Amino acid sequence: MNTRRARLRISGMVLVVFLMVTVFVVRLVDIQVVRADELNAQSLEKRAQELVTYGVRGEIVDAHGAVLADSVERYDITVSPRASLARENAMGVIADGLARIAAVTQQNPDDLMAVILADPESDFEYLTQGVTLDTFRAVDALNIPWVYFELRNGRSYPNGEVAGNLVGFIGTDGPQAGVEYTEDACLASTDGVSVYEKGEDGVRIPGSEVTTREPTNGGTLRLTIDRDLQWWVQQRMEQAAQQLGATWATAVVIRVSDGNLMAVTDYPTVDPNNVDDAAREALGSVAFTTPYEPGSTIKVLTAASLLDAGVVSQDSQILAPYSVEFPGAGVISNAFYGPERLTLAGSLVESSNTATAGFSDLLAPEARHDYLAGFGFGEYTEVGFNGESSGTLYPASEWDRRTNYTVQFGQGMTATSVQMASAYQTLANGGVRMPVTLVEGCEWPDGTVTEVPPTEGTRVVSEAAARQTVEMMEMVATSSGSAPNLQIPGYRFAVKSGTAEVAEAGGYADNKVVLSYAGMAPAEDPLYAVVVTAGVNDRVFSGRIASTFRDVMAQTLTTFRVPPSTTPSPNLPLTW
Amino acid sequence: MSANFAYANPADARPLRYEPSRDANGQRDPHQGAARSRPTRVEIVTTRAQRNARPKLAYSVVTIVSLFVIFAAQLLLSIVVSDGAYQLSGLQVQQKELLRTEQALLEQLQVLGSTQHLAANAAHLGMVPGSNPLYLDLATGAVSSAPGTADPLGCGGGCSMVANSLLNGVPLVDAASVAAQTAAVAPSSAQPAAVQAPAAQSVPSANPDVLPAPLTN
Repeated sequence: MNTRRARLRISGMVLVVFLMVTVFVVRLVDIQVVRADELNAQSLEKRAQELVTYGVRGEIVDAHGAVLADSVERYDITVSPRASLARENAMGVIADGLARIAAVTQQNPDDLMAVILADPESDFEYLTQGVTLDTFRAVDALNIPWVYFELRNGRSYPNGEVAGNLVGFIGTDGPQAGVEYTEDACLASTDGVSVYEKGEDGVRIPGSEVTTREPTNGGTLRLTIDRDLQWWVQQRMEQAAQQLGATWATAVVIRVSDGNLMAVTDYPTVDPNNVDDAAREALGSVAFTTPYEPGSTIKVLTAASLLDAGVVSQDSQILAPYSVEFPGAGVISNAFYGPERLTLAGSLVESSNTATAGFSDLLAPEARHDYLAGFGFGEYTEVGFNGESSGTLYPASEWDRRTNYTVQFGQGMTATSVQMASAYQTLANGGVRMPVTLVEGCEWPDGTVTEVPPTEGTRVVSEAAARQTVEMMEMVATSSGSAPNLQIPGYRFAVKSGTAEVAEAGGYADNKVVLSYAGMAPAEDPLYAVVVTAGVNDRVFSGRIASTFRDVMAQTLTTFRVPPSTTPSPNLPLTW
Repeated sequence: MSANFAYANPADARPLRYEPSRDANGQRDPHQGAARSRPTRVEIVTTRAQRNARPKLAYSVVTIVSLFVIFAAQLLLSIVVSDGAYQLSGLQVQQKELLRTEQALLEQLQVLGSTQHLAANAAHLGMVPGSNPLYLDLATGAVSSAPGTADPLGCGGGCSMVANSLLNGVPLVDAASVAAQTAAVAPSSAQPAAVQAPAAQSVPSANPDVLPAPLTN
């Protein structure tokens, strides 16, 4: 009996132990296998702290590395109205705290109080946004428990309006204008995420940090612009525009050897730090986006085309009275009465429309169109600026009899200032057009450079044709009516003026003109080409901006330390 | 089989040790008389060497102590590591703050170095654009003039026509304070020269109030 009871007892115990082990095993499997993921996630949620690590948007710098746009850290000061109002003696504490904050941020304490009282149940309201580090630290030092801070990435443009038209700006929805917008692929950064586990006191547990995504910084965008020249030209153009009462004014300085833009200025323009105060039309770059009928500055390109085709020479003679009736094209007139027996050079110095029209008949319209297209008209430049215009150059087959002539002196076609600068660069560069370049490259943190601009030039006219044209343009600088305003002592330069009518609905406006001067220096071996243009609501002539052109050209020569000319200017016959 | 155990082989005619069941006096156990007819009984016994090799108390003490030492070392190590974590975290915060300060100062520097600020300060101090710089050609020795900077407004860089809203409220340098700073620096830098040549009184010494500069207009 004894042994039997003992056996029963043992069996019972074994069963109980077995059941208990079974329960534990089931539970173990449940926790470790079945619900493992869920539980792990839950526990990690309690310990894990996700951290967004910000990448830094790249800088925009000028050709020499001067920073035009930079990323900066800014802070938003936020408040929890609910938490603040839940305190004892809330109104007194809040009023005191807000008064101390307002003293730092230079705000009105009543405005801040209104923010809190607007929605007492809210946990998040902005007291102020985008304050600098000094302000953030001062407010942080006040140690107000219901005030919180948020880091935000801001953008600073240390040089203000200098190249503001080109650099563009960033709005609340990201890049809005200029190269900030078009070169976003270079500049943009991506934010990273890392997760670490924290202990009870909030200190991260060593070795627990896991980076799930690395942040990447943007590249440094190097422009071809020279900041100081850009500033000087901008100031000079603004002054000229105010004296002329111009509605807009642009200036472009382009390096002849490679088509790099040294300065592209617009009036009016935008301070990217303060976009709200700028007029809508000032937000972009008129020099790229707004084409105009260039007028007589096209005549030198016509001359170069005809010289290249071999149908004229510098001393080709033409009889060019004040007005001529061309068959089927109506009457074409000059701006002034002047000498009638002109050479090709003389036709440029006198800027004779009738002479240019007469010479144009020596070459077929298709060929003349192709030359103009070769100079870059009717095509976007290689820059691809935000909102850039290609201008208008209709195919020769669509030219009517009158357009056939007017297009050769810059009416009936449109071009942007940058296109004009590119065409003059072509003449200055011995007939080879270089790709227009604004962005020198995108430099990445690892040292690689992308977006390297093309450097392949295309020949538009022969070297001889280009050289002879520049020689004739030098006669404009030495012999035209505006010559006294076009002297840079010691330097030879070549230039052509233009006073263009502005097309409006149903014809040309009576009291609107586009004044321009375009040229290159030094004339014997051009290094820089300059185009200045102003839109004026008045009946004035291009001579009014001759001195502006001279000053911009002189400053360009000074900035880039171009040595003075050593050979005398040519003296070509202008009349016969 | 391990050789740690001595054993007697029943087949062996001469076992290592054969002990018929005897009592302490060598008398045969009378109760066991019946067993004599059974096959020889073989018993596993230990050799002296094996007896000597038995675990001793010292071993267990050593083991337990070293376990405790290991645990203690691990504890200390983890204390040091987590202490390092606090230090690391403190230094990281400090590094972040310093980086922020650096960024803020860099930002300030860039604004102060902007063309507008430099030009306005230059004009404020009475500087004018160089109107007729000259070039000296080192090869020929010829001197030629460069166009220089036109100043049609007559204000040099002081016109501030090209706006920069970041400069709002940034003061221009104060000419008087610059002169004072120059004066404060000049004597100390002139000191060594004065010590070396105390007799050269007749030589015009550097006047701290006048910067050496050519007279231009």
